[in-house]
Amino acid sequence: MNMIETQNLCKAYGDFTAVSDLNLHIQKGRVYGFLGPNGAGKSTTMKMFLGLTNPTSGSFQIDGKHYPADRVAILKEVGSFIEAPAFYGNLSGEENLEIIRRILGLPKSSVREALELVGLTQFRKRAAKKYSLGMKQRLGLAGALIGRPPILILDEPTNGLDPVGIHEIRTLIRSLPKQYDCTVLVSSHLLSEVELMADDIGILNHGRLLFEGTANDLKIRARDEGYPTDNLEEIFLAMIDEDNRKRGAGQ
Amino acid sequence: MILQIEAKKCKRTGFLPAVLLAACAASAFPILNMLVRAETFTAMAGTPFDILTDANWQMMAMLNMVLVICGACLMYHTEFADNGIQKMDVLPVRAGSLFFGKFVLLVLALCGMLLLETAVLTGCAAHWFPAYTWTFSETLQSAGFQLILTLPTVMLMLWVASACKNMWVSLGIGVILVFVMTILPQDSTVLQLFPFNTPYKTLATVQGAGDVPLFLGICGAETVAFGLFEFVFLQIRRWYA
Ligand SMILES: Nc1ncnc2c1ncn2[C@@H]1O[C@H](COP(=O)(O)OP(=O)(O)OP(=O)(O)O)[C@@H](O)[C@H]1O
Ligand SMILES: [Mg+2]
Repeated sequence: MNMIETQNLCKAYGDFTAVSDLNLHIQKGRVYGFLGPNGAGKSTTMKMFLGLTNPTSGSFQIDGKHYPADRVAILKEVGSFIEAPAFYGNLSGEENLEIIRRILGLPKSSVREALELVGLTQFRKRAAKKYSLGMKQRLGLAGALIGRPPILILDEPTNGLDPVGIHEIRTLIRSLPKQYDCTVLVSSHLLSEVELMADDIGILNHGRLLFEGTANDLKIRARDEGYPTDNLEEIFLAMIDEDNRKRGAGQ
Repeated sequence: MILQIEAKKCKRTGFLPAVLLAACAASAFPILNMLVRAETFTAMAGTPFDILTDANWQMMAMLNMVLVICGACLMYHTEFADNGIQKMDVLPVRAGSLFFGKFVLLVLALCGMLLLETAVLTGCAAHWFPAYTWTFSETLQSAGFQLILTLPTVMLMLWVASACKNMWVSLGIGVILVFVMTILPQDSTVLQLFPFNTPYKTLATVQGAGDVPLFLGICGAETVAFGLFEFVFLQIRRWYA
């Protein structure tokens, strides 16, 4: 069953098309790695899912609910983290999560749980603007994970974390579907990272989907199309390169 | 609940000190005025409360508007500074409830200020005009009237603050609006019904001209209109974000 599905989703800013004719299929209970170079349209797609920006055309469903009619119902099920951590610098980490907890109507204990999950318990009383970059990132993640939402949309969640933090967060994301059967959409620039976390991979370039499937599918496809390598990272780079060349020729 | 959350967000932003400071400054003004020039006013003919309001309200209304401007800018600065507003936008609340919460909070702060200010005016009248018998309803009526006349200003200013991510831009717009309204000619009724201009009106002068229903009606309508405007603005912004 598809938890998130899009039909010819497009987003244009003026005459620039950031996302074009996207058809994604994100299955329930799996981690979906959303891969693409800078400016590919990953964040834009995620922003559309969260109602931060309206699609220019096309449609999407999240858990069978339609945007914009069911915007609030969709947001009830989705925990999210987009681009950079969003928080109130004047409030402490704990107070920030407390605000989210109240709005979501969660039990009091969920704040403590979320802080523990991302390893911020020790710094919960410190004003968030005095957090280090990685701590801010962790606070953002805590805000996404609080209340264990059935769907998680995470935009480059390991950005700015130290190696230990990256490992922790990867392991956490990897374990979430098993822990409570949630669906995760996570974006990244690195195939090596996505490979470690994700069950399914979607590759985006210049707003168009080049590939969707498992890592194994990707290897099979690479072999069929005659890419000389077995290394996923190189396949990814070769695919992007080839697509860029085609686009260049088309223009 | 939304009000509690909005109040919580104002922690350590300087919102409460700003309200207290403005309230103290505005209330101190008539007292100082009386301490310095009591004879000028006690010699005047008319209701003591109206004499004092006439003498002091321009300044006090200006201070109230400064508070409205600063309050709106501070509240939205807290949202934009670390992008907290984006997190709010992806939580399951109806569009506009954040704005509405801020509006109610600012109106409550203003309510407190106006009550204190009219109480001080009444107190001054009672102190310096021994013959004056004051009534609660008169004081409350005056405070309520001023509140309604300031509502469009609150709504418009909050819209400006919500539209400009840079606090200094919204602060500048607010100050310019106050300034422009004071230098515009004051003889046309239409201009007097503009936000940033209505707060200067006092109940006594409006009553004298028989315009009370007009002012209350127009200010109420303006408030609703600016509120709807914000709502539409939020919907339109989604296309360009
Ligand atoms: N508000 C906007 N107005 C105009 N163009 C925009 C806007 N937001 C994004 N874009 C453009 O849309 C394209 C896709 O941006 P997006 O942020 O989705 O990329 P991304 O895949 O998340 O990249 P990154 O990996 O760098 O985060 C970019 O070319 C960007 O300049
Ligand atoms: Mg991005």
